[in-house]
Amino acid sequence: MDEPTILNRTRAYVLDTFLYMRPGFDLGDRDRLLQKGVIDSMGVMELIGFLRSEFDVAVADEDITEQNLGTLADIARYVVSKRGNGGPTRG
Amino acid sequence: MCGFAGIARREPRGVAAGTLDRMAAALRHRGPDGCGRYAGPRVGLAHVRLSIIDVAGGAQPLGNEDGSVLIVYNGEVYNYLELREELIAAGHRFRTRSDTEVLVHGYEEWGAAMLNRLNGQFAFAIYDRRTESVFLARDRFGVRPLFYSIVRGDLVFASEAKALFASGEVEAAVDPVGVDQVFTFWAARPPRTVFRDVYSLEPGCFAVWQHGRLLPRRYYELDYPEAREESTDALPALDGLLGTGVALRLRSDVPVGGYLSGGLDSSIGCALAARASPYPLRTFSVTFDDPRLDEREFQLLVADQLHSHHFVQAIRPGDVAAVFPDVVWHAETPLVRTAPAPMYLLARLTRQHDIKVVLTGEGSDELFLGYDLFKETALRLFCLRQPQSRSRPRLFERLYPYLDPRGRRGDFWQRFFLDAGTPDDPLFSHLPRFQLTSWIKEFYAGDLRATLAATDPLADLRASLPSRFAAWSPLNRAAYLEMVTLLSPYLLAAQGDRMSLAHGVEGRFPFLDHRLFEFAARLPTGSKLRGFQEKAVLRRWARDQVPAQVRNRPKQPYRAPDIPAFFTPQPVEYVRELLDEASLANTGMFDPRAVAGLVRRCTAGAATGVRENQALVAIVSAQLWHRQFMNDMARGRLGPLPVPDVVLADGVAA
Repeated sequence: MDEPTILNRTRAYVLDTFLYMRPGFDLGDRDRLLQKGVIDSMGVMELIGFLRSEFDVAVADEDITEQNLGTLADIARYVVSKRGNGGPTRG
Repeated sequence: MCGFAGIARREPRGVAAGTLDRMAAALRHRGPDGCGRYAGPRVGLAHVRLSIIDVAGGAQPLGNEDGSVLIVYNGEVYNYLELREELIAAGHRFRTRSDTEVLVHGYEEWGAAMLNRLNGQFAFAIYDRRTESVFLARDRFGVRPLFYSIVRGDLVFASEAKALFASGEVEAAVDPVGVDQVFTFWAARPPRTVFRDVYSLEPGCFAVWQHGRLLPRRYYELDYPEAREESTDALPALDGLLGTGVALRLRSDVPVGGYLSGGLDSSIGCALAARASPYPLRTFSVTFDDPRLDEREFQLLVADQLHSHHFVQAIRPGDVAAVFPDVVWHAETPLVRTAPAPMYLLARLTRQHDIKVVLTGEGSDELFLGYDLFKETALRLFCLRQPQSRSRPRLFERLYPYLDPRGRRGDFWQRFFLDAGTPDDPLFSHLPRFQLTSWIKEFYAGDLRATLAATDPLADLRASLPSRFAAWSPLNRAAYLEMVTLLSPYLLAAQGDRMSLAHGVEGRFPFLDHRLFEFAARLPTGSKLRGFQEKAVLRRWARDQVPAQVRNRPKQPYRAPDIPAFFTPQPVEYVRELLDEASLANTGMFDPRAVAGLVRRCTAGAATGVRENQALVAIVSAQLWHRQFMNDMARGRLGPLPVPDVVLADGVAA
């Protein structure tokens, strides 16, 4: 799965899960999810569950950082890096 | 404890007895033991009575010797015996043993200066026929309520807003700015309320109405003249204040019980009461099936030690939803938590066991820095002093231990606190909470959003702060904000007075003795919050009073189930109906599509965070509130009109 696909699927998930009350919300790939009030720390846990079920990526505790999960683009990049050449990361 | 209402006309065109009776009927739950009224040419007064002191002689309205001064009063003045002696020495003649009459003669003797002499929780209205004026007053911390509206120069006032509407002279309408304050601070900020043109007399204030104008004045200011060091006699002083504070609050002609949460504060109150009370103490607790909310282990420990007769209100699935409409009716406001509902049920249980006065622990967390919010403030400052530190922010993981641990760690949890605002903002301490609560506004309907476009509740709060605020330490600023935004308008009101008086039960608050507040305000903050140990000085004092397990346990905030109370997993019937498109369109406050999304998430069991729990309770309660006050009230939701057993004509008992 390529990075743009991951990004689009993640965007659809975030809009549906965290922005259902703001249908017109303009969420850019590099918008900071926490600072824009899109997601809170409990929401991050939900997001992690999504990454596991959708992309088979298990997020380790030490990976729960803004660098990895701060924006849609960060998430897509992180998922790609964890999946390597398309293989699952669950160990 | 009682309720009162009245109307003061700019022109002496009379106040109809039927109007006063309708207002009294709306307050009957506050005073089921008696009812009285005075209907004069300019002023009418109504009173419903819960007999506690001078059961036989304390009926109201009550006048002075010649009927030129009349009072209706809700509350207790605990030092009334001492004031009575003083007034007798000054030549006043008393006809009753009640604290009510002390206020009448105290007003004659000292005027408004009387208020500074009172130790108690009170709201009252005095009609002074000599000057054709009405004097309204409210206690220092706002334990007892007083609402008013001015309609074409006439003053309409009452213990609860519903009595204003019952008069037929005040219209129930939404104040969007007040509602927006609820969805920022958890409550509207006095004098504003959630009703248009209805005001709440601010705590620590009085107001004089004359010639069709009302002039409010403050008589008590919160202040924090913090000492550099704890004085050597701090513990004996605290001992004396707690002892006399409880002893004064046991002054009653009926037995006094105790609410026992299982925490430090209520345990202290009950322990002191058990020792000083002439009756065997009866204690009352709430338990929950959910172990994360339940404190029964600690409640039983204390009840056992005190040998109290202990009664338990178990909160089972369905209980909160079943009473929530009544809770909102009594609270008279949208809510962001269901926590008042168990208190409503606890008061009902208390009354069923023939107790109408209870000691309860509110105030201690504000005086002695008990809440995690104070630790959070200290920790945010600590981290911001060294922004590069990686280890300091990890301490945030020790906050709010009762929340889901999965959400209490890592970058996102830390940034929530660290990015919320800077220390130079006067509201620094409360910005994370205010921002969290304000998420509810994501659900506003477009029209409401447009109406509020120019409204900034945080700017309004900043502008209202007293000039000395800037001189206080950051933790005392936080304590002040907690007192004025949460304790008075929410904890003591929607969750306090309105829930207990719904069943004719009076709460008494030993920690809100103003002498104790002033003592605590002078303590160095290090005596209160020492590292992660909250209420440090109180714990030291409690060494011989409260079981070690209770004394040493961390603060557990009182909470109740929110979304799970209404979704099982389908929404309970009335919630489904309140949240459908037609109902939402009718009230116009929330966007139906947004709410549908929340309902979907609640039904799926996915809405587990604080934000969505608050939003759901906010929307359900606002819908209930709107329906009950803006619709049903107009059609007249009143019980049977009471038959007054005290009727005064021209100030003299007829």
